[in-house]
Amino acid sequence: MDAALKSLGVIFDPSHFLMLILGVLVGLSIGILPGLGGIVGMSILLPIIYGMDPHTAFALLIGMVAVIPTSDTFPSVMMGIPGSSASQATIMDGYPLAKKGEAARALGAAFTVSLMGGLFGAAVLSVIVPIARPIVLAFGSPELFMLALLGLSMVGVLSGKRPIKGVLAAGIGLMIGALGDAPAVPEYRYTFGIDYLMDGIPLVIVGLGLFAFPEIVDLLIKGKAISEVATLGKGWLDGVKDALRHKFIILRCSMIGVIVGFLPGLGGSVVDWIAYGHVIQTTRDRENFGKGDIRGVIAPESANNAKEGGGLIPTLLFGIPGSGSMAVFLGGLLILGIQPGPAMVTENVDLLYTAIWSLALANVFGAGLCIFLSKPITRLTVIPFTYLAPFMILIITLASYQASRGWGDLIALLVMGILGWVMKQYGWPRPAALIGYVLSDNIETYLFISVQRYGLTWITRRGVIILALIIIASLVMGAFWQHKKAPRTGEDYAE
Amino acid sequence: MPSKVLTIRVIFAALVVLAFGYGIYEAVSYMYLAKIFPLYVCLAMFILSCINLVMEVRISWRQLDHSGVGFVDLESKWDMAMVEVLKRFCYFMGIVLVLYASISLIGYSLSITLFVIVFYRFITNTNWWVAIGAGLAGLGFISLISKLLVIDWPSGVLQNWISLPWPLG
Repeated sequence: MDAALKSLGVIFDPSHFLMLILGVLVGLSIGILPGLGGIVGMSILLPIIYGMDPHTAFALLIGMVAVIPTSDTFPSVMMGIPGSSASQATIMDGYPLAKKGEAARALGAAFTVSLMGGLFGAAVLSVIVPIARPIVLAFGSPELFMLALLGLSMVGVLSGKRPIKGVLAAGIGLMIGALGDAPAVPEYRYTFGIDYLMDGIPLVIVGLGLFAFPEIVDLLIKGKAISEVATLGKGWLDGVKDALRHKFIILRCSMIGVIVGFLPGLGGSVVDWIAYGHVIQTTRDRENFGKGDIRGVIAPESANNAKEGGGLIPTLLFGIPGSGSMAVFLGGLLILGIQPGPAMVTENVDLLYTAIWSLALANVFGAGLCIFLSKPITRLTVIPFTYLAPFMILIITLASYQASRGWGDLIALLVMGILGWVMKQYGWPRPAALIGYVLSDNIETYLFISVQRYGLTWITRRGVIILALIIIASLVMGAFWQHKKAPRTGEDYAE
Repeated sequence: MPSKVLTIRVIFAALVVLAFGYGIYEAVSYMYLAKIFPLYVCLAMFILSCINLVMEVRISWRQLDHSGVGFVDLESKWDMAMVEVLKRFCYFMGIVLVLYASISLIGYSLSITLFVIVFYRFITNTNWWVAIGAGLAGLGFISLISKLLVIDWPSGVLQNWISLPWPLG
């Protein structure tokens, strides 16, 4: 308790406070730009922290990483372009809301739940420190494989009336993820002799290609503004009220966020999809999902902010980064001369609490700033898209090129973009493809390690059985509600 | 008689079958541990994609309604004929390809600046001053990102011939 109060005092020291604000501003700027995420932000800040006091550097780094999942909501809601890997699912309902002229409402709800999710993550981080070790160690490769399968099972609820297309889209994603070097042996797969494909296609390119490119092309073809109505309709205050009305969704999805962030190796890219799938599976009136249901914004946004708190647990306590940005953060800790590990709880407990306070405060500032900015920024949705299009093309080419800094990035963006456009036009669920891609490497790697380490007995592990039951329950529940609430019509006969 | 749109739908479904078929063919030649995952995924997906193809052909033949099949995807709804949509798609793809070609000739910074200017002037229909202002804003933005992320944007044939000042070089 003393350490917590002492750290709180340190955080409000003017120099630390300024660094926290600086980190928040950098995080906001990076989050707003599609395709740039925590790794880029960390990479920009790392050179600055050399020789800095660890508390100050913590405030800067955590301030930045905490608000990216908040500010990346802007492009997701307003353009249908994933701001970062953490906000892919937000576009599913956020963008349709923007089209209806309710972008401010979607943003208001998103920022409110981001704040709540972020605070939940910080609270869990502070409570879980003493008991984190056995929980993290309970998750071996078999359990991580099952968690990846749980993520893949979300394809079921994202496939709508044509499950076969959903599964096939996920298969396309799995195969795109399998391009390049095999995880278990030195073999390059499906590279067609092209050097660029040896490392596979980066996530940012797959995300921008499948979602951003088709939206830009479609809006250009239509030749109208993003919002289909001239007035912006409901404001951000309605969004705040929406968020408060769905507090149990926030709680559940924040827990999902913490758990997924907490587990090293699964990666944060899937947390928003799991939360989105979860809220559909547990909802009776699901017919508006994908058409502008505010719950489809609330679920992924609360999860992706809570994930950051969870992600700090293995990073700080075990030196195991839970995501790409946490890996760079880990590098930052080593630059500062801090050795992450169990000693953080005993020798550097004040630093640990600095991280917790920074996370909480950054979420408050980040959400506040975003809410303040949301009203003017939503005006962009009523501007004719031909004014925005060249800059959007500039941003997606720029974001793609920074992935591996080669011509291959630009060509891959074009190929994925055409694939995404065709999938969009002909009813192939692109989210299923993205989920398949994101989980492809995890599924293959963890299955391989599980079989190598445990033989077939991995199936009998307690954690595996529990997760298998959760997967079955979620699939059954999803199928049950879909069958009950969406009876087949004559038009759907052929589907 | 199936329309052209539905034909494209069927062609895409057939391409998916071919892709998974090729996936199986290619995977067979890999080392044991490298082939397990892609081989089994492709086998399962090949069977499903064949079923899907049959369904697509049947739907196309009967000219049944496809609306709403994506459920939670951002499906396109058009207030124009699909043939017109495809024409416009090809037109904008042409613009993107011209942009790519110009990047290979005069480099990214110069191409994207000219692209913004030309787009604003001839597609957005602004006056020259607004178009040039937008182009320079774009150049300023990519220059800032270049500095922050320490990125050299792709250079073209022009940069190999002439030494241009940063950020054009």
